[in-house]
Amino acid sequence: MPAKPMTGQAFFVLTALADGPRHGYGIVGEVAELSQGRVRLKIGSLYGVLDRLAVEGLIEPDREEAHDGRLRRYYRLTRDGRGALAEEAELRAATARVVRARLGLTGAQAAGASG
Amino acid sequence: MSGNLERRYRRVLRLLPGWYRAQWEEDMVAAFLDSWLTSDPAADEYITKAAGPSSAEVASVVGLAVRLYLGGAGSQRRYAWGHALRRAVLAMMLVHAVLAVDVLAFLVWSRRLVGWLPAPPGSLLVAPSGVWDTAFYLVSVTWIAVFVALAVGHYRTARILAALAIIPNLAALLQAQLTGIMPAPFGSWAFWFLFDLVPIVAMTAFHRDAPPLAPGRWLLALPAGYVLVYGPLLALGATGNFAWVPDFPGLCCILLSLACLAHAPRAWSRQVAGTGLWSLALVLLAAVAAANRLVTLTGYLNDQHLIDVSLAELLIVLAAAALVAPDAARAQAATPAPPHPSAVAA
Repeated sequence: MPAKPMTGQAFFVLTALADGPRHGYGIVGEVAELSQGRVRLKIGSLYGVLDRLAVEGLIEPDREEAHDGRLRRYYRLTRDGRGALAEEAELRAATARVVRARLGLTGAQAAGASG
Repeated sequence: MSGNLERRYRRVLRLLPGWYRAQWEEDMVAAFLDSWLTSDPAADEYITKAAGPSSAEVASVVGLAVRLYLGGAGSQRRYAWGHALRRAVLAMMLVHAVLAVDVLAFLVWSRRLVGWLPAPPGSLLVAPSGVWDTAFYLVSVTWIAVFVALAVGHYRTARILAALAIIPNLAALLQAQLTGIMPAPFGSWAFWFLFDLVPIVAMTAFHRDAPPLAPGRWLLALPAGYVLVYGPLLALGATGNFAWVPDFPGLCCILLSLACLAHAPRAWSRQVAGTGLWSLALVLLAAVAAANRLVTLTGYLNDQHLIDVSLAELLIVLAAAALVAPDAARAQAATPAPPHPSAVAA
């Protein structure tokens, strides 16, 4: 049976952690920025995704830091998480190439269409 | 500073299972407050007094709670309910599929669609039928497809087909309500509610994180179930013992009682791991069978003998379920919580 496809939310959360550990709200902000505001994670949804990714071994806790009297827990990608993210990114890039080819868009046209 | 806002959010988080809150609550509260507070004391004071979790925020916590209680990722084997519910729903779809196979087998035989089968008796010959009967046969085929789709893991397809399959029965019941005439051999309101609507709602337990089932065994259960159920019934009919053939609610009670009795030695041995999930599934199914037996009693109000038989069936299924109920209760309490991610990291 093929592996379950990665959800859009999981993809963005893993991408948010790709350049370093982040705490919960840091991930929410980074995901919003990465998705240009299209994905705004609610906290319940974020922890559902974090919980699932932790169980799958794709992320793990990094450290805890005190901030305004509260502990912030930071998360980081695991080696498996990096692999899964790279694989998903490659798949999405390949799909995007096919879409551009079928629409007859060159790189510049595609950038113009999206911008 | 964050008092009221934090208190309101923690109140919402109470929807989540206790073990999950023990792991994630502080983190969630910190992230939630980060999303509101500005580090400007005056603004934060106003926010903590006036603001609260938005409906979207509450909805996300509700969605997380539902997923956790029904055994999603993170809950792993912690919540036996999700596992048991999936087995119970599949068992009910198996009932639908076995009934459908019988309907189709009868259709093939009575219409002489297979030449080498012996001719049916005249009493069984079916006259050409209208749109309702056609709908009934289509619904039967659909239930088989629902069962197969669920067993092999195509949950979304199963949900869509099941939602379509219950519409003709509902339409027939509404028409019967208005005209007093049931237009096709569909089930009663009790059947529609307990065997159509309830399992479809319970199909939410088949979410994307639901662990895969053993499709081979479930698919094999369809022909096996048909032979094991209809073999004895046909034998009773063929030997003229029609009086011993139970009605559908009675048959469900008897089959459930037999299943509980067959499972009870494993449930009581404590030597076999994982029996509790089946015990819980059997208790859920027994509750449905008992409810169906109870509400269909009203059809026999003029026949004391049938009422006595029905009550006996009801008592038997409740007693049989009581045999496995302690194991079912242990299944909910004994399944271990998943390791906390920080423990994994350490």
